[in-house]
Order: sequence, then structure tokens, then C-alpha cells
Amino acid sequence: MVSGLAAGAWLGAAEAPTKLVTLGISPFLISLGMVAGVFVARWTVPTLMKGTGYVFVDLRSKAHLIVWGVLGGALWAVANTLTVFAIRDVGLSIAFPLWNVNCLVGIFWGWFFFRELRGAGKKEQAKVLGGAVAIAGGAVLLAYASSVAPASVSSHASAGILAALGAGLLWGTMYIPYRKAYLSGMNPLSFVTVFTVGELGTVAALALVFRGGLQPVLHELVKARPALFWLFLGGFCWVLGDLFQQYAAKYIGIGRGIPLSNTNQVWGLAWGVLVFGELAGRGAAAETTVIAGSLVMILGAVSISSAVAPAAEQASWGEAVERECARYQLDRDQVFRAQSGEDVMAARTRGWRWWDALIVAMAVSIFAWLALGAQRPVIAVDAGWIAALLAGTLILLLAGGVLLWKRTRFS
Amino acid sequence: MLRISTYKAILSDSHFWVPVVVLVIGILLLALIR
Repeated sequence: MVSGLAAGAWLGAAEAPTKLVTLGISPFLISLGMVAGVFVARWTVPTLMKGTGYVFVDLRSKAHLIVWGVLGGALWAVANTLTVFAIRDVGLSIAFPLWNVNCLVGIFWGWFFFRELRGAGKKEQAKVLGGAVAIAGGAVLLAYASSVAPASVSSHASAGILAALGAGLLWGTMYIPYRKAYLSGMNPLSFVTVFTVGELGTVAALALVFRGGLQPVLHELVKARPALFWLFLGGFCWVLGDLFQQYAAKYIGIGRGIPLSNTNQVWGLAWGVLVFGELAGRGAAAETTVIAGSLVMILGAVSISSAVAPAAEQASWGEAVERECARYQLDRDQVFRAQSGEDVMAARTRGWRWWDALIVAMAVSIFAWLALGAQRPVIAVDAGWIAALLAGTLILLLAGGVLLWKRTRFS
Repeated sequence: MLRISTYKAILSDSHFWVPVVVLVIGILLLALIR
């Protein structure tokens, strides 16, 4: 549960650096720049925490999940591109609520394929479903308060609505590979290293197709050089949030984990409103809507957080694990031990190697090189709120990190 | 490289085809609305 909440904070914080990116860059390039940052961070964080040796032993022992990871990354990339079109055609206020159905799609797949919420009893089921609906409803209020639909809504409205619904369907379905990995006992740190290959490959392919080939893309990347640091920084925060989301999916399932991490909307808005003053001059109605939306979302998160899976539901999860073990010939005992938080791979690996230091050094160098050429646009920010929000997200990072270390050794 | 038996297990897994079909729908949708 703490992982799910920390995921919301860091996924929301990822929006802050991207707000410093000035206009005039293609959305495809913004997506490509951010995913490139995500790729660097997704290889660095697991290397720092476990070492590449651990990751590769884990991947080799459950090799089928390489295909599932790449498939999950491709789903994410296509969904992300669809949201670009949705925002262009109908605006964020209409598009966001539509693609936010992803958590309901995730709950459905969790119930349908992975036996989540079965045997949970009506009270617990109502807490999860009610909480998910409240979080989605809160997000709708926040989206309406924070954005204005473009004037050209009518001309491409149906295409924009289709794109937003498509994104919700793809993002909700992306949780099938997530859950598949964790029912097999895989470490989230290992899964994200292949997931990101699917992400970067698909985003790069889409950018090449939609921007007219390699030369125009390279030209635009050079032009976007001063903004790349902010995109990479956003990508780094996003990876921290996503890692917490992955741990939440592993230990409490997608039905509970995904709605909790969808609280990122309230954090993203907090950065926008409190640090960048985005609601300035929008009147009391907008402020009231923001407060109401945030409260509804927090109530939803509290409701899901209190819905602990009873023994009958955990037995039902066990049946889903048995299926994976039988189909992919996994070591049943090892998978169940991994499910309970034991780091079963630790004994089979030899810790960090010299090339791990090289990977981390390369990542730090890329960030330092981009920082040297970064331009910070003149945007007024509130330093006090930056400190307060940073403190909040760091406290959640610390709380989530310590709990995960104590109970699972980051496994 | 994955073993042939692993590919067979993936391709005969009913869970696999749902995300594949949804991915194809997403790509077709992109092509349609671009």
C-alpha cells in the first residue's frame, strides 16, 4: 500500500521538470526524450540496487517474461502516443477522464485472468471498486479544474475521444504483463529492464514513422538539446514512481496497486498549482473543484488501503500462481517464496561487478552532459512549495524504500 | 535465445493474445487518426 502511494507521489513529481520544457518541440520528441531518460534510469536504478548479474540470472530463470516485458513496453508506448492525439483533439479536461478508465480495465483483468478479489467478500470488493471509482472521479474533477478545452474541439472530437479511450484500454491491458511477471516471482527491478526495451523501441519507431524518418528526428533532437535535461529528469522521477507501482502490483495485485498509483494526478496538480501557480486568476470555483477532487481522491485511496486481501482471496491468488508454474515449468516452491517477499535469487548471484560501476558512471555522465547544456526558461516558481513537496515525496521514497528493504530486500 | 518450448507455451497461453490484440487495435487506431 505504501508503495502504491509512493508511486503516486513520484509519478506526479515527474510532471514538474517537464513543465520547464518550452513550447515548440514536437510531442513525439518530448515523448522520445522522456522515454530515453526513462531507459537510462531503468538500467541504472536496478544496477545500483542489485547489480546486472542479479537481473540477468532472474531473467534467465523466467525467460518467457522477456517477451511479456517487451509486449508491456510496446503497449505503454502506443498508449502514450494516443494521449498526445487525444489532448490535441479534445483537450486534457475531456481526454484525461476517458483514459483514466485504465484502472477499471486493470481491475477487470486482475479479476478475470488472475483471480484477484475472488473470495474477498462483498465488503472488501466494495472498498476496492468504490475506491477506484472515487479516484477516477477525483481525477475527473482535477482535470476539469486544471485545463481548458481547445476551441477546435468539434472538428476532431470523435478521433480525440477514440484516442483517449484507446489509451485507457492499452494502459489497463498493460497490467496483464505486469501481473504475469509477479505471479511468476520475478523481481520488479528485472522486469523493468526488459519492459523499457519495448518502450524505447516502440516510441522510437513511432517517432520515425510520424516524423518522416531518421534525419528529421535527429535534427529535431539536436534542436531540443537545451530541453533534454528536464525531460531526462522527469523520466528519472517517473522511473522511481513506476518501480513503486511495480512493487505494489507484485505484493497487493493490480486491482489495488493501480488505483493507488493513479493518485499521481493530485501530486501533479499540486506541483502545477502550488509551485508554478497554474490556477492563478482562475477564480474560487476552480480552487473549490481542486480541493473537492483531491479530497475525493484521498478518500478513494484510504478505502483501497483498508481493503486487505483475506485468506480466501490469497488462496485464489495461489491458484493463479499454480497456473503460471504449470504452464512455464517454474519452480513452484521458489515462486511461492518469492511471492511472500523472500529474495530467492540472492543466493544465486555474486553481487556487483566492475561493469555495474561503468553503467552507473555512464548514466551520471549523460545527466551531467545534458545539465551542462540545459536552459531553464524564466518561469516563476515558489521555492517554499518546492521544498515542501520535495520533502513529502522524499518521505514517501524513504518510507517505501525502508519498508520494501525490511520486508523483501527489494525482491 | 528462448527455447522453442517456451515460445510454444507463450503462443498457446490465452492470456497472451489479449494484449497482442489490444496492441494491434492501438496501432490501427494511431494509423486511423494521425
